[in-house]
Amino acid sequence: MNPQSNLGANAPSVTLPLRFMVTGLLSLVTGVLWLVLRPDILATYHYNQFVIALTHLFVLGWLCTIVMGAMYQLVPVALETKLYSERLAAWQFGFHVVGFIGMVWMFWIWDMKHVGHFGSILAAGAALFVYNIARTLLRVPRWTLIATAVASALAWLSLTVLAGLTIAAGKCTYEAADTLAPANPLAAMLRGLKAAATFAAHFDTIGAMHAHAHLGVLGVFVMLMVGISYKLVPMFTLSEIQNQRRTWISVVLLNAGLLGSFVTILLRSRFKFVFALVLVAGLATYGLEMIAILRARKRRAMDWGLRYFLTALGLLAPLSALALVLSWPGLPLTPFTGQLENVYGFLALLGVVSFAIIGMFYKIIPFLVWYGSYSKQIGLRKIPSLADLYSPGLQSIGYWTWLVGVVSTSVAIALGNAAAVRCGVGLLAVSLFVLGVNVAKMLSHMVHPRSKPLNLRPAVEGHL
Amino acid sequence: MNAIELDEPLVVETLRQVIDPEIDCNIVDLGLIYGVNIEGSTIRVQMTLTTQGCPMHESIASGVKMALLNVEGVKDAQVQVVWDPPWHPSMMTDYGRARVGLRA
Repeated sequence: MNPQSNLGANAPSVTLPLRFMVTGLLSLVTGVLWLVLRPDILATYHYNQFVIALTHLFVLGWLCTIVMGAMYQLVPVALETKLYSERLAAWQFGFHVVGFIGMVWMFWIWDMKHVGHFGSILAAGAALFVYNIARTLLRVPRWTLIATAVASALAWLSLTVLAGLTIAAGKCTYEAADTLAPANPLAAMLRGLKAAATFAAHFDTIGAMHAHAHLGVLGVFVMLMVGISYKLVPMFTLSEIQNQRRTWISVVLLNAGLLGSFVTILLRSRFKFVFALVLVAGLATYGLEMIAILRARKRRAMDWGLRYFLTALGLLAPLSALALVLSWPGLPLTPFTGQLENVYGFLALLGVVSFAIIGMFYKIIPFLVWYGSYSKQIGLRKIPSLADLYSPGLQSIGYWTWLVGVVSTSVAIALGNAAAVRCGVGLLAVSLFVLGVNVAKMLSHMVHPRSKPLNLRPAVEGHL
Repeated sequence: MNAIELDEPLVVETLRQVIDPEIDCNIVDLGLIYGVNIEGSTIRVQMTLTTQGCPMHESIASGVKMALLNVEGVKDAQVQVVWDPPWHPSMMTDYGRARVGLRA
């Protein structure tokens, strides 16, 4: 029997998630450098082609790419099952990359017809992703809270993509639908798109855009953060869930709040404040459970990866406060409240979600590199631990520059000051440079593995 | 050539070469080894992991097997990963607790 036959029984091959990770990082670097060059984008109201293009670069190119790659890696191991199809995942990667690059480009030049075309390519990839993960979920030996959170995120992702495509369809015209022969399949498709455009016309444009964006960020990314952290935080801190009921309540409240918020934001209803309260209650319940888990932890020291992640969770507090202010019934739309909406989006994307992802990056990348370079040598040679693959000093510099960058950029956006925005995002760029050096340090182990011969039959250290 | 006699201290010492790379501590001092059984040239190890669904599951279990098969005189090594009783930090040795920086 081959003793290594079980290696990677659940996890997909290392290259699959790695290619998502590298693409995501490149998108983040591009987006931040873009902001350094054009800080005015964030210093003005967000309903313009440049903010929308950049937002899609961050959301689709950075966050979605990373999250999808991480899910292909983490969902099978966290739920103790196998990925349904690695080949589908490879196809999805192609659709996703072509789709998001085309969408960002077309948003920038505001060609909505082509946004729709590239959006359809991206949506085809998203459908493959949802199908692949859903089939994987159907294989889990026992249904858990994490499976529920992942399934919820898949549902919100599907609705977000559908809403996005409907908004894009609503911005196009379909003269050819009436001139093509009825039997022509293209005519049927155009009539469908025209019907979608007619439906989209029932809703206020900005309300629809906000509902789409809010559902995507909270429904997909924050829901996944909540669900996955219920597994990962106890695992990394040697702790355990303190109150199962509380974990379920947090996910149920978040789902209820997300559905209600989507409808009320779309309809520009005054009741959106009520559902914002439901969402905040869900996040508060989650926060209480996280505090309880951390208080019960056995491992005193927390590595920087975990500190990044927990800081992201802490940033949910100002984000929630801002959500309540912005959903307050009758809040006038002044230039300042418009800027606060920009801060809300920025804090959610580059504060909460990006901070959390960079933290998890320091867990996932070392694991993938270690797995690719050293897993077959475990027990045979002296191999480095995950923490030996990167520099904690660089992690610390990256942490502080990102945190100060997020806070200072948020203040600069609120004040509508482009020069100050440039300084703030400049700090984010410095942080990314440091992250890049650390990633290179980790990846170098794939080229030059640093294992040593075992010290065979070492002296027993008196702790048998 | 002198054959090395297989005994539990030798097996435990061998298993000490297998680390959990996330926690950076060997699996013996982590308290992951529940039992060792030696029958002739066959070794059976019953062990657990710190958490169910641990991403290192296959690597560590496979590493245990490889390390044992590498010992002179071992012809077969069987590794069984169990979840009952579930692992708890109280199962760690003093050395393991100190290495991991565990709270009392």
